[in-house]
Amino acid sequence: MWYEIFKFELTYRSKRPETYLFFIFLLAFSVFGVDFIFQGVALGMVKLNAPIVIGKTMGVITGFFMILASMIMGMPMIRDDRYQITHLFYTNPITKSDLLIGRFLGSLLILILIFSGIPIGMMLGELMPWHLEGEMLPFRLASYITSYFSVVLPTLFFGAALFFVTGSLSRKLLVVYTQGIFLFVVFMLTKSITNQYMQAILDPFSLTTITYLSEGWTVAEKNTLLLPFSGALMVNKLFWIGIGLGVLCWGYYRFSFSIRRESKKPIKQKVSIDPTNKINDINLPTANLQYNLRSQLKQYTRLSIFYTKSILKENSFWAIVICAVIIIMINSISLGTVYGVDSYPTTYFIIEELQEMSMYFFIIILLFYSGELYWKERDICMHLMADATPISSLVRLSSKMTGLISIYIVLMLSLILSGLIFQLINGYYQFNIPVYFSGFFIEILPFLTVYTFFAFFIQALVNHKFLAILISLISFIIMVACGAMGYDHILFYFGGGGLPPYSEMNGYGHFMTPYLWTKMYWILFGIMLLVLASLLSVRGTDKKLTSRLISVGSNASRNIKVFASTALILFLCVGTYNYYQTHIMNEVWTNTEQQEYRADYEKTLKPYEHQPQPNIIAANLNLELYPENQSYELEGEYILKNEEAAPIHEIHIQQLIESDITLSEVQFSESVTLDSQYLEFHYNIYRLAHPLEIGDSLTMSFRQTLQPKGYNSGSVGSVLDNGTFIRNNEFPTLGYNSKYELSDSLDREQYELTSRPTKAAITDMHGLQEARSGSDSQGIRTKIKIGTAADQTAITSGKLINSWHTDDRNYFEYNTVQPIINFYAMLSGKYEVARDQWLSTPNQQNPVDLEIYYHPQHTYNLDRMMNGMKASLDYYTTHFSPYQYEQLRIVEFPRYEEFAQSFPCTIPFSESIGFMLDIDDSIDIDMTFFVTAHEVAHQWWGMQIETANVKGRNFVLETLSQYSALMVFKQKYSKAKVEQFLALQQDLYNVGRQKSTSAEIPLYLVENENYIYYNKGAIVMYKLYELIGEENLNLALRSFLKDWNSLDGEIKTKSVRYATSEDLIGYILETGGKDSRENIIKLFSEI
Amino acid sequence: MDKLIITNLTKSYSNGVKALKGVNLEMSTGMFGLLGPNGAGKSTLMRTIATLQEADTGSIYLNDIDCLSQKMEVRKVLGYLPQQFGLYPKISAHDLLHHFAILKGLTDKPQRKETVDALLQKTNLYEVRHQNLGGFSGGMKQRFGIAQALLSNPKLLIVDEPTAGLDPKERNQFYYLLSEIGEHAIVILSTHIVDDVKELCTQMAIINQGEVILQGDPLSLIDQIKDQVYQKTIHKNEIEHYRNTYEVINVQHYLGQPLIQILNDTAPEGFTPSQVGLEEVYFRQLSNTSNR
Repeated sequence: MWYEIFKFELTYRSKRPETYLFFIFLLAFSVFGVDFIFQGVALGMVKLNAPIVIGKTMGVITGFFMILASMIMGMPMIRDDRYQITHLFYTNPITKSDLLIGRFLGSLLILILIFSGIPIGMMLGELMPWHLEGEMLPFRLASYITSYFSVVLPTLFFGAALFFVTGSLSRKLLVVYTQGIFLFVVFMLTKSITNQYMQAILDPFSLTTITYLSEGWTVAEKNTLLLPFSGALMVNKLFWIGIGLGVLCWGYYRFSFSIRRESKKPIKQKVSIDPTNKINDINLPTANLQYNLRSQLKQYTRLSIFYTKSILKENSFWAIVICAVIIIMINSISLGTVYGVDSYPTTYFIIEELQEMSMYFFIIILLFYSGELYWKERDICMHLMADATPISSLVRLSSKMTGLISIYIVLMLSLILSGLIFQLINGYYQFNIPVYFSGFFIEILPFLTVYTFFAFFIQALVNHKFLAILISLISFIIMVACGAMGYDHILFYFGGGGLPPYSEMNGYGHFMTPYLWTKMYWILFGIMLLVLASLLSVRGTDKKLTSRLISVGSNASRNIKVFASTALILFLCVGTYNYYQTHIMNEVWTNTEQQEYRADYEKTLKPYEHQPQPNIIAANLNLELYPENQSYELEGEYILKNEEAAPIHEIHIQQLIESDITLSEVQFSESVTLDSQYLEFHYNIYRLAHPLEIGDSLTMSFRQTLQPKGYNSGSVGSVLDNGTFIRNNEFPTLGYNSKYELSDSLDREQYELTSRPTKAAITDMHGLQEARSGSDSQGIRTKIKIGTAADQTAITSGKLINSWHTDDRNYFEYNTVQPIINFYAMLSGKYEVARDQWLSTPNQQNPVDLEIYYHPQHTYNLDRMMNGMKASLDYYTTHFSPYQYEQLRIVEFPRYEEFAQSFPCTIPFSESIGFMLDIDDSIDIDMTFFVTAHEVAHQWWGMQIETANVKGRNFVLETLSQYSALMVFKQKYSKAKVEQFLALQQDLYNVGRQKSTSAEIPLYLVENENYIYYNKGAIVMYKLYELIGEENLNLALRSFLKDWNSLDGEIKTKSVRYATSEDLIGYILETGGKDSRENIIKLFSEI
Repeated sequence: MDKLIITNLTKSYSNGVKALKGVNLEMSTGMFGLLGPNGAGKSTLMRTIATLQEADTGSIYLNDIDCLSQKMEVRKVLGYLPQQFGLYPKISAHDLLHHFAILKGLTDKPQRKETVDALLQKTNLYEVRHQNLGGFSGGMKQRFGIAQALLSNPKLLIVDEPTAGLDPKERNQFYYLLSEIGEHAIVILSTHIVDDVKELCTQMAIINQGEVILQGDPLSLIDQIKDQVYQKTIHKNEIEHYRNTYEVINVQHYLGQPLIQILNDTAPEGFTPSQVGLEEVYFRQLSNTSNR
């Protein structure tokens, strides 16, 4: 008998459109599956169709679309109720087991067939033309088959069992969907398990399992080995299959073979009809019906409350809320983690975590509850009564929309509350309520609102609940993918983009204005969609789309027409304004245009690359910063000196290629003629009437302004309301600038440009003679005057010789005492300053003023920074050479970027990297201290000694800084801490190595691979320290500095070139002793 | 005096079924009974009047209101109780009735409360008004349906098979209510229970296969065939024979034996005059149309 039911299920399903629809959907999605899921993931040398990649992709797709499984598996038993045939069915002579087994197996088979769309789609995807040869292995059927069987099927079985049982017992689809969320919660929870094996076993989608399984594999193994159904994967799958079986058994016993259970509270009393017919005497009052605007507003309000309440009554909604809160509580344990150290649970970290984690829940609520609300009347067959009332369709739909938005707000408030509780538990009491609110109500709510308009519109258009949910889901995915691929122009990218992260220093800065205009534009668009949806929506029994489309016009009342046209006019106005801001005030460059421009730049100007140019030996700048409108005006003067071997006839000036930058009034102290044939590249040639003889100099003066026009959306890290950070390479440079060249090798190929190395070879003549790419100076003196807003302090390299306040502006004047490298930064912000002084240890002389410019609230780690600076100066002056400046400053800048960078005597330090870390010395590594020591070390490695711009440059600069900082760290902290630090470096190195797309290169020839020069570098230097001893190593570094420093290096001053990693290794070999020679060479060159 | 005039109304469904084939009807204040077998097109007609369905051709006018295009105007004066409907299970009768009152435009709170309470009492739901509708019996649900239909003092009340699921007492109560409404509104009552119409309606029409086959007031319709119906108890095998000989309008069973009714000017052999009611009129019309 069960077989009959099984067959019936198959026949029934084979006639249902959604069966095919789901299959096609999965297939279509899977075609892009790998590209979508691994987009932006560095796979390193592992190919896109390697078995483990396929396995993971299948795991993700299966997990993501468990929702389809819930739609299939939840239905069979609910169907009976819905079509009201339960009575007929259950009175037939079939046994409970026949019914359940037949239905379950039938649906499961269908489910398996639907999900076979994944491997088929992925196989098709492999053939797609956008895959490059280098990315793929030869096609291999077995990779797909084994993954499908070992990853997808067991997950499906478990999901099927869960959804089937919950559907059968609850008879409510929403409860079934909630189980999908439950699975997701389980998945998220497994992520917080620290025991990797347990995590691998418990992950319901086996993603971590596959990672765990393949941990020790080499690249070759990862590319060839099929997923073995053994070990953790087998245990994981057996575990979940076991749970699935358990759920089935439980469901079997709980399932009552009768009509769904009646309400527990039956009607208390049967009301008897009053025999005296007293009620006939009741007179009905005459209702006073109102249809004016005021009445409609009241209707709107009352109905919105009604629909909100109706969702609040759903247990499924509260289940979602609870799940969301649990996940957030667990996941928020690690916040703002930098180098393995967590940050203080500040509100902005919490809110970011909340936003990220809750997005999934919001999307689920949006998709399903928009369907529920849209179908609220029709699902229970109440629609005919409601449709025959004079309620405006628009009022009703708007109320549903508002109801759903209120639900988001309820969830948001619950999340905010749990965030506050989390902060409270962690003893952090600086609650920033406005940030909580803006994080949800400004950053997330408009996005959800716009998509909710869309979801309701699709429901109205398609008039099929699940199909509409599916279409909305697919549209979201497509839109997100478009955004990720860069098609995110605010006028066309549905919903518009987001805001940059919130910074305590800069708030949302100037990004808020365009953001709000964009959201307004899209919300107006959404309102029009909603009006259209209300006119399209089924009212009564006519469901045909064509007749609904025809009657759109006649359905629209005068009021609605007025309303819609108002929305349309506003939409067009805001759209025009946005267009004006983005297209008229600003230039819009497509990707292709940009690439073409770069290629042209290189093709046209490359011949000038090595054209001899004078060097900048002094810069006198007068910089007026206007943080409030993100602009500046600069009057500058360079002194240019011919340090080449021949007279110079022409001077090539490159202006920064940026649309808001204007360079003007370029004048020379000698007479020149301007050749502006390369104006399109902002590259001007000035021909000198009399050549500049060797050793002679001239003055160049100029004026440069940054004046953002229209929406200033891009430039994070330029002039900001608070926390300006600009570098001098924004100012005019001399000669051809290779930074404008296309760097991606495929792009270069496309524009027929020869391939170029990331770094020049260690023997490259030109590379050896420059310290930085396109360097136009061998050391300069600066005089910089900066004017800024009245409440801000401006900082740059040099000694502060004067500061004053005029015209409601602050002015600061900095001069350098001795030459610095031509790389300096100008910063400005509303800072507090922490000051201290350092004196050199033996003779208590040469005081150095220590200053930390910080955002007033960020006081947590100032002591650690101050101690770091002192300890560093102690160690480096003792072991390397004296410190060359009288100041050492740390300056905080907003967290749009996460780094610290050393400039002469000034170290800009990101808000996110050291200021907010919550360091517990008993468990954590003091990374703030370490990073400080590292950056201070650059005052030697980078400021005192410059290195040739060839392979190995970063070994000298960065690896030596790592070593230096490690030595300072070692003095302050225990050996255990040092080992902990080295273990962290080893981990980071391993990760970096796995993600790398090219074969590893030796440390001493490192290019830009930071996992080599930072992480491996630290480990190697520590081994070297153990091998030859601290004294010998420092001796070598001392000699290296003495010979090669830029100021008075004994060799450097006689040589045209800069030092290389080979020079450095020479010194180390010398002091390291003959016995260690082999080992030292091995350390630096071994991979 | 309100008037509802239906002219030449046709409707066919996409599957080819012609639900209405040129229906012409005229109704005025009072109870109008719409009789017809299942599938005759009654519900289609009522839904069309209730603005829930488009017609292919024809027109419906309620006084000056064109019901096919001025739907909102109709809805303002309309009460509608569909044949089958559901109610939110997790909400009380009181709350849902308020919800409907708002949908109908009863936005003034005190007035709404007064109306809702009165209707709850009128439909005998007042005692259970705070219980969830999920626990309501069929009859209670039906009464709720009636309550919502009456919320806006309708000028036009359409009730589609309203007495299904009601016990006799409840039915009486309900009819009393309807006739009360019928004193100053057009009440269209569709049913296949002939007695209901006889008891209540001042006007009626019989619909079959999408056509109005008879229209008038029940008493005069009965009068038309008052002396022409005869009946006889016969043997099962004889039915065919009688069908060929007479105009048999109905075959009933009486004590296990077929009892046929025929239409004839005089009483044939063995036949006795039959009591003539609306039922006989109805059966006669139906047999007429099926013979054609």
